[in-house]
Amino acid sequence: MNKLVEIALGLVTGIGGFLEAGSLATSAQAGASFGFQLVWAIALGTICIAFLIEMAGRLAAVSKHTLPDAMRERFGIRFFTVPLVVVVLVSFLVLASEIGGVSLALQLATGIRFQWWAPAVALAVWLLLWAHNFSLVEKGASLLGLVTLVFLVGAHKLHAPLGEIGSNLIPSLPREDSAKYWFTAVSIIGASVSPYLFYFYSAGAIEDHWDEGYLGVNRVIAGLGMGFGGTVAVAVLVCAALVFHTSGVQIDRYEQIPLILAQPLGRWGFILFVASLGIACFGAALEIALQIAYLVAQGFGWKWGENIRPSQAARFSLVYTGAILLAGLLILTGIDPLKLTVFSMALTALSLPVTVVPLLIVMNDPEYLGDNVNHWIANTAVLVVSVIACVVALVAIPLQFLGGS
Amino acid sequence: MPTRLRFDHLIGKEVRNSHGRVIGRIEDARIEPEGGEYVITHFLIGPAEGLARLRAFLGELPTLRSIGLGKERNLRPFPWQWFDWSDPNRPSVSAEPALHE
Amino acid sequence: MELGQALLDQQVTDRKGELMGKVDGVIVELRKAKPPRVAGLLIGGGTAAERVHAGWARWLLRWRRGWGPRHDEPLEVPWGKVLKIGVDVKVDLDAERTPALDWEHWIRDRIISRIPGA
Repeated sequence: MNKLVEIALGLVTGIGGFLEAGSLATSAQAGASFGFQLVWAIALGTICIAFLIEMAGRLAAVSKHTLPDAMRERFGIRFFTVPLVVVVLVSFLVLASEIGGVSLALQLATGIRFQWWAPAVALAVWLLLWAHNFSLVEKGASLLGLVTLVFLVGAHKLHAPLGEIGSNLIPSLPREDSAKYWFTAVSIIGASVSPYLFYFYSAGAIEDHWDEGYLGVNRVIAGLGMGFGGTVAVAVLVCAALVFHTSGVQIDRYEQIPLILAQPLGRWGFILFVASLGIACFGAALEIALQIAYLVAQGFGWKWGENIRPSQAARFSLVYTGAILLAGLLILTGIDPLKLTVFSMALTALSLPVTVVPLLIVMNDPEYLGDNVNHWIANTAVLVVSVIACVVALVAIPLQFLGGS
Repeated sequence: MPTRLRFDHLIGKEVRNSHGRVIGRIEDARIEPEGGEYVITHFLIGPAEGLARLRAFLGELPTLRSIGLGKERNLRPFPWQWFDWSDPNRPSVSAEPALHE
Repeated sequence: MELGQALLDQQVTDRKGELMGKVDGVIVELRKAKPPRVAGLLIGGGTAAERVHAGWARWLLRWRRGWGPRHDEPLEVPWGKVLKIGVDVKVDLDAERTPALDWEHWIRDRIISRIPGA
């Protein structure tokens, strides 16, 4: 019974929590610019993250270590500092993007410019973490996150051609604007395979005291949860494609993006878009801030926990407080949240080998996993996607900037 | 001869033979319980040069092994008695069996 | 058992299971005509930073001495106090009473507890 509840919760979190600033922005841009062509990128990213989440959960359940803990032990402090610094920096930018996303939602709702909302949003994120009852907050955020299912409704209302969408699961070459195509593809992968997702998941599994009996639950949550979540991202792409690409309009300003739901669903579409954007990004911001603190605390052996009083885990609390403060300040400067988001996603893709390879190494170490080491298929799949994403990002990012975005 | 050493400082240090030639680097040590203590029975020596070390590191990675590349960690165990610690920054071994090469 | 793999960078917990830090260093005692013995563990105090880069570690420690808890030496745990080596390294100490948590306490007292709700 308990395990069924866990599965249900995990699925709800997976569906409701998949969409955030990155996947929303990149899927919408992909749909608007390239129609259904980039569906394969979402599928590829989703498969990759499903593998990685399953690994993170398995690591926690079998070895009783979180990922950063195991990484420090396995590699020693010297090599650990590399993924530590990279993941903290990239996660920080993504955190700022999420705060930017919530601020943008508030701008769409009220007309007041997003940067003025940033301090309030940052404060709200911080307060919910400071209240040290994240388990409750997480359940609430996950349930609210189900509002993102509205994109499926929108896609249906727009008469999404399932056959045509399905045929784009097979990767295809760009017909025009190659640089932007590959940049967008890589950003989608970065949005799907965000390190914060699997780092956070491993901490959660430890907090919930998972053991080997949970390996099945873990697999279901990873596969189905991410699978459903990816479907929501595809729905965003489809809505954007049918609203923008078919009429040849590009998305240049974020005020246009709500149209992808406003067109099929009218006023409610607009409201639910704003709600989806705000809730999804807010939930992600909570997770990322915690994840940054987990990474640092677990790497250095400090006390940590999502439900501990701040005074009992002072250094841990200081880290997430500092991260949220700085991220809020970044948005306050008025930097374009959409550009920041897409850029952070591309950067995530670029840094995938650094963030993913340590996990892969640990996942194959019998010292940690015993008989439950990775299957060679999982290793190859994840390794190949990470390396390719990195190489493509290496080429596409400069090209995109040279060509002007 | 110093009595206390930092083991973490030893890792990566080059080991020389009695001719002064570098024969490898300290990578780890094998320990065994003895009485209520743990004692070092062997130091595990790995390759000395950068490229060989990189290859050894990559070959050891279970990830690569699982897709068919690489091989087991190949560290040579050197008994503790062989070591001369008079200069802890330049450890050397005094016994000279043929396996040094 | 291999020393580096089994001990170095492992999580340390005290006798109550509280997290105390990581094994940042290991002290080995050389003896005449006897094998070297594992003498103790080092936790904190810039030990880990030294292993990353000695130069940066010196800079970091100098900067830290300007503020923070007065005591900035690593905690040395004699081998006799090590209870168990497993998922973590459990030691027979009370974390609260060791310097291992000096920074934790300093940050708690000077920063965190000043914020309401801590």
